[in-house]
Order: sequence, then structure tokens, then C-alpha cells
Amino acid sequence: MKRILLACSAGMSTSLLVSKMKEAAEAKGIEAEIWAVAQDKAPSEMERADVLLIGPQMRFMKKKFAVTAEEVGIPLDIIDPMSYGRVDGEAVLNKALELIGE
Amino acid sequence: MNRFMEILENVLLPVADKLNNNRYLTALRNGFMVALPLIIFGSIFVVIANLPFLDKAISEDAYAAYQAALGPASAATLSIMGLFVIIGIGYKLVEHYKGEAIYGGVVAVASFLILTPQTIDFVTSEGATEAVGGVIPTSVLGAQGMFLGIFTAFIAAELYRFFTQKNLTIKMPAGVPDAVARSFSALIPIALTLTVFLVVRILFSFTKYDTVQNFIYTLIQAPLTELGSGLPATIIAVLLIQLFWFFGLHGQIIINSVFDPIWYALNDENLAAFQAGTDLPNVVTKQFIDTFIVGIGGSGMTLAVIIGIFLIGRSRQLKELGKLGAPAGIFNVNEPIIFGLPIIMNPLVLIPWLLAPVVVAIVTYIAMSTGMVPRPAGIIVPWTTPALLSGFLATGNNIMGAVMQAINIVIVFVIWWPFLKIMDKQYYENENKGSETKAS
Repeated sequence: MKRILLACSAGMSTSLLVSKMKEAAEAKGIEAEIWAVAQDKAPSEMERADVLLIGPQMRFMKKKFAVTAEEVGIPLDIIDPMSYGRVDGEAVLNKALELIGE
Repeated sequence: MNRFMEILENVLLPVADKLNNNRYLTALRNGFMVALPLIIFGSIFVVIANLPFLDKAISEDAYAAYQAALGPASAATLSIMGLFVIIGIGYKLVEHYKGEAIYGGVVAVASFLILTPQTIDFVTSEGATEAVGGVIPTSVLGAQGMFLGIFTAFIAAELYRFFTQKNLTIKMPAGVPDAVARSFSALIPIALTLTVFLVVRILFSFTKYDTVQNFIYTLIQAPLTELGSGLPATIIAVLLIQLFWFFGLHGQIIINSVFDPIWYALNDENLAAFQAGTDLPNVVTKQFIDTFIVGIGGSGMTLAVIIGIFLIGRSRQLKELGKLGAPAGIFNVNEPIIFGLPIIMNPLVLIPWLLAPVVVAIVTYIAMSTGMVPRPAGIIVPWTTPALLSGFLATGNNIMGAVMQAINIVIVFVIWWPFLKIMDKQYYENENKGSETKAS
């Protein structure tokens, strides 16, 4: 079970991506829990995630999130703007899996 | 151009980082977040209480009774939103310091109330003025108290943290239940914090301002809101939002954290006037920005861009983007368009991106100042409400609010038209070149 956390401003646009990522995961036969939260909820949600992906428009939060991510011991990265704009669930899912290291 | 963009991005990124991660601005933003559900609840009831044509359909008495019955819903939420913002800020700031957050919330409220006038002047039927004690005027819990409330919450939370960290707490012996120990450990920091504010209140009673509330209102809030309600400050705010977004940074989150206190205060003044049935004092309010500038497809009013894509898009890329962006765009979520068109870092769209919202702001401002379109009534419409409906609701159920939004869509569309056309042509040619080379 892979637990992938996405964060953006209100969790709105990332939740769009979440549904596409779920589709992609299902197609690949990967069991994954994928969910999106608003930026302020991200630090507390990180504990139960394997990886954190940040919406590109909130990339100035990376430094702050990195502190918590290190405490919890999970990788994090900014979602590629092009994949974000195209709501390319598969690309973002691959990125997440790559970060988890599998 | 690229070099210039690099330099700008290098300037904007740290600014965004500083503004968004500043602990006070974060607490302020989250404080408003705490208040938001209540504000929206109150707004819904203002809308219901002022249904169009209802005043003509039923008798005057029945209409008055109907409004009076629904009145408490907004009076208990929207009209005293400052109170919730204060609780939210105090809570979130102490939470940031990993303290007992709920005490941060209550100590902020108590501190604020200590600084607040606790009498009202009641005019008797004989015309004499009598000071009535034992009351807290609700006006100071709304717009008028907003700034003092924000400052007080910051200072109260800081003092509470300071006294807690100085270990000025009562230590309970082992074996005392944790909950009991915790309420005692908060006692001294809270008492000291409130004492500080009480001293401040007493000191101010010797000045000509009488209360801190009056002092802040006269010296800071009134001039600041005056400035914020003007067109120049609004244009600057709108331009900054657009500029941040151009670099792919969430402009509203960044700029709102500075402007929200002003916009909400202006909003509340309008609401009070709307409910009293008098002239609305302000054009620029939270809704002016959220509904008439941003709430038409999202930042940069990209609903017009989506319409443009459907009307003139020949390239596959634009067509795909239109299909992808439209459903979210209707609810003012426009990241697919911003990152997909793309708008970020795209010099070709810089002009319409910056220009359109400014033109719309000016046109809307003029239309509302001259009375052609009603001013926002102070009703907070959730930002995901689709355009036209949101304009109707925000102006207190007035069809002209929707008309204004429709006009704004047309304005944005016209400004974008030539640029969208060029972009579409480029994409189209690239796509065809690609298929030709594949074929050959």
C-alpha cells in the first residue's frame, strides 16, 4: 500500500489530480491511497504518508514542509508544472513511486 | 527577456516565501479560515432574508417579521466575524509555538474584550443620553474591531507564550490528572497576559481616545481602510496577484494575507448598511475582488480564456486544454489553464494576463461608484460559486451583479482574443509540422 499525499492552497486543484492518479494507479494494478489537503494541513498529514507532492503554485512552501518531512522521514518534491497543467495523473503517480523508491 | 524573468523570479520567490511563511500572516490567514464557515452561513441567511420580489409578494408586516426571524443567523456570525478571527489567530499562533492552543484562542478574546468599550450610549425618549453598562456593542466585534482584534490576538498569544516559556506556571505534584494540571499550568500565563491588557486599558482611559478601540480605529484602521478602498491600491493588489501567478506562485494566498483585514472590514461596513437599508459606503470590498475580479474562472478571469479556446481553438493542444479546464474553471479552479496553456512564464500572454484584470477592476469600479451596478452588499459568497450566480448573490440578489460579471467576461475575452489567436496558430502549425515529418 502506497500512501501519496498532495498539498496545494485549498486542496482543490490537487484533488482534481488525485482522481486522475487513482485512475492511473488502478490501471497499473497498484494499491495506493492518494489524497490532497490544504497547505496548512500538510504537516500533520505527513505522518501517515509515504511521500509528499506539492502543487507548483505553492512551491515556496517546500522549505517549510521539508523540515517536517525530514522528521517523519518521507521524501517530497514539487509537481512538474506541465504535468500539473495537463492533470497528467500517470506522470505524477510515476514521480511519486520513483520518490518512494520502488 | 529570459534573463529578466529569472531576476524577477529570484525576487518574487523569497517574497512569497516570507509572506506565506511569516508566522503572523499565517496565523492571520488561518484565523480567517476559522471564521469562514460561520461567515458563509451568515451570508446564506442574508441572501435568504433578502429574496428578490418577496417584499412585493407578501405584506409589509409579514416581510418585516420574516426578516426579523432570520436576522439572528447573520447577526450571530457575519456581523461579529472579528470575534472568530481573533479566536482563530490566538489559537493558531499558540499552536504554532506548540502550546495549549485553545488557551491562545480564549486569552486573545478576553484581551480584546478588556480593551473594548463595555457601555453603550442609550438615548432616552426624552432625548437624554444615558450610558448603559454590562454590554458589549456588537459593532466592535465586527468591522470596527477588526484591526484591534488582529493586533490584540498577536500580542496576547505572544505574551501567553512568553509567560509560559518563562515557566511561570504552577507545577502540580505527580498523580494529579493531566487535564487538571493543564488548566492550572495555564492560569498564571493567562492572568499575567490579561493584566497587561487591563493596565493598557486603564492607561488609555486617561487619554482623549478613552479606549484603545477608538485609538486604533482613528489612527490606523480608518486611514488604512480608506486607502484600501481606493482604486489605486486595488489596482496594485490586483497587479501583484497576477504577477505572482505569472511566475506560477499562488498570488491570492500571498496578497490576501496582507489585504484581507482591510477588504473584510470594508465588506462588513457594507453589510451593516445593507441590513439597515442605507447606502452602501464601499465599492472595493472582499467581494469586489473575489467575485468581480477573481471569481470569473479564477485568477486572471480565465473563464473568458476557456470560452475563447472553444470559439477559436484549432490546435489539439488548446482543444484538449479547454476540455480539461472547463469543468474546474466553472468553479473558479484554474490551475489546469494556468499551468497548461501555459500562462506561467509565457511572455506571449503577459500583456492580457496583467492588463485584463486591471481593466475589469477599473470598469467595475466606475460602474459601481456611479450606481449603474449595485455595490457588493457584504455577503460572502464562497469563491467556488460559479460566475453570474456569484455576482447575483454578492450584490444582494441583484441581477445587475450578474450582468456586470457577464460584461467583465466580454472585456477579458476581447483583450485575450488576439493573443489567444497567435498562440493557437503557433500550436496548430507545430502540430501539423509534427505530423508531416512523421508522414514523410
